[in-house]
Amino acid sequence: MDLVANNLSYKPDDQYHLNEVSFNFKEGNLYTILGRTLSGKTTLLKTIAGLLTPDSGEIKFDGKNFLKIPVWERNVAMVYQQFINYPHLNVFENIAFPLKQRKIDQSIIKEKVMDALKSVGLLGYENRKIQELSGGQQQRVSLARSLVKNAKILLLDEPLVNLDYKLREQLREEFKNLFSKGLADETILIYSTTDPRETMELNGEVIVLDEGKVLQVGPAKEIFENPNSLKVAEISNDPPMNIIEAKILDNHIRFEGIDVEAPQHLSKLTEDGLKIGLRSSDIELGENGHEFEVELAEISGSETLLHLKRGDTKIIVSIEEVLNFKIHDKVKINFKIDRAYAFHADGKLASSPFGGLNG
Amino acid sequence: MNFKHKYFFLFPGLFVLIGILIFPIIFVVRLSLSGWNSYNPGLDYIGLENYIRLFTDDPRFWESFFRLSFLSVTTVILQYVIGFALAHMVWKDIKFKRFFRVLFLVPMMTTPVIMTVIWRTFFHESLGPVNDLLSVFGVAPKWLTDPVIAKFTVIIVEVWQWTPFMFLLLLAGLLSLPKEPFLAAAIDGASPVRKFIYVTFPLMAPISIGAIIIRLIEASKIMDTVYVLTSGGPGTSTETSSFYIFIKGLREFQMGYAASMSFTYLIIMIISLTIIAKVLTKVLLKD
Repeated sequence: MDLVANNLSYKPDDQYHLNEVSFNFKEGNLYTILGRTLSGKTTLLKTIAGLLTPDSGEIKFDGKNFLKIPVWERNVAMVYQQFINYPHLNVFENIAFPLKQRKIDQSIIKEKVMDALKSVGLLGYENRKIQELSGGQQQRVSLARSLVKNAKILLLDEPLVNLDYKLREQLREEFKNLFSKGLADETILIYSTTDPRETMELNGEVIVLDEGKVLQVGPAKEIFENPNSLKVAEISNDPPMNIIEAKILDNHIRFEGIDVEAPQHLSKLTEDGLKIGLRSSDIELGENGHEFEVELAEISGSETLLHLKRGDTKIIVSIEEVLNFKIHDKVKINFKIDRAYAFHADGKLASSPFGGLNG
Repeated sequence: MNFKHKYFFLFPGLFVLIGILIFPIIFVVRLSLSGWNSYNPGLDYIGLENYIRLFTDDPRFWESFFRLSFLSVTTVILQYVIGFALAHMVWKDIKFKRFFRVLFLVPMMTTPVIMTVIWRTFFHESLGPVNDLLSVFGVAPKWLTDPVIAKFTVIIVEVWQWTPFMFLLLLAGLLSLPKEPFLAAAIDGASPVRKFIYVTFPLMAPISIGAIIIRLIEASKIMDTVYVLTSGGPGTSTETSSFYIFIKGLREFQMGYAASMSFTYLIIMIISLTIIAKVLTKVLLKD
């Protein structure tokens, strides 16, 4: 049973929330919608759920016009980025709610709710009030509520974004286990996120969304290795990919007085306005490197993000250890230039180290 | 904190409280133990005689009390149901929402006594517009002079006058509800009707209890409507406790006896409203 959308558009004000979005989702698969905030992810999920009606376009599920079916008959489940539960019900009643909407035997409801509680690790909490739970536990309850009804379409709208770092790591791990446990055999799982790392870890089919438009569709690895444009490269990397305005001449990349030998996949590009893209992790500190000035050094978890400047060129370097730098310190860096991307002036991918559009 | 002059600052508030609440209650209790009437004014002491008379020899008081219970419970239930329906209607995005919100509040802005005079004119048996219209169907109910129908006339006027108050409280309650559970409920497969039963209504329970109790306290004092509309008639068929106490105390001037009725009435009201509040909380909040 496929979920197919054709040219969905939604424009409630003067901006497109969805702009000609089309997709073909197959059952048993995990789809990740990657995009920055306000890119239309939530709008898209709400449209699939039926909470929003698009201005134009169609959604078909199992060949039937999905837009004609009211929300409560669509058999979808959704987990929101805010932890949405029923404040007047306890944990058990919350999870049983979707089942109570159908005529299901009490004993079966109990069994299913207990199963769901078990799979989200909340056994023993069934009589607690929702307000007594922590944010992570509340989100688990709403996850359990979405699992219990065995919906054909499971929508997860940035479910981890409002959790603290530790919990996020932990729940992400649990999500991965849940998704791989064959839950998804008949389910279409749609997961939206702003976090490229989450996208890579979930390793599903990725839809990159920006300003309501689909920019690229493909497996996570493909998006990461061969982003088809500057925008996608920015969205699919955190910190965003460094973009350097450079010139390639005589097999050399030149910018800000720096001169490095071009790797093979970039050597034939000679056009004007070329932009070189280099991930922050593909730049390293080195004794014989090029000198840059430190603008800002931030420590995030176990890595250090260095914001560097040379002339008009600003780059971010991520280093896998905690280092202390002062502003205006001089550092020397080397580029792993064989991992550089090149983009045309209009933002389209010119060449990638993984073989996209070589030459 | 030990502060020398604190009682001095408490005094103004305390003075008002004593003057308008504590003293009258104590005075009523003392008055109820006296035989103060028009022949014999003054605070003499006759013990529990008034209370004995009330409990053994005055069926009219108890009839008026049960009539009052019937009238207040019926009107409050109707006000709640109609008020909730109207509030729910203008809670959703409908056309002319603001217009309706104001329109539904108009009765509350009018003066009850004056409106009751107008209602009395409306329901006049031979001259009123209501029976004028109904004569098309060949019926002419005795709105104010039939012992049974007159009760319902009182109910109609009370409901008309006070539903807006209920509407206002419930609308405020609905507007303060979190939106999220409703999104969740739709996706969880709840149709609009079930959404109301399983989400809206339970979420509104605390506010409902408050609104119902406030209206019950108000409704148990029904007096002006009865006074203007039917003067308790025909016979005593629309006479309520407060109206009967008014007749005994300020028309027949049996002050001592009226005080004993007032005090008995106060005790009964406090006990029964406490029980009602407890029961409502138990049923609606499952606590």
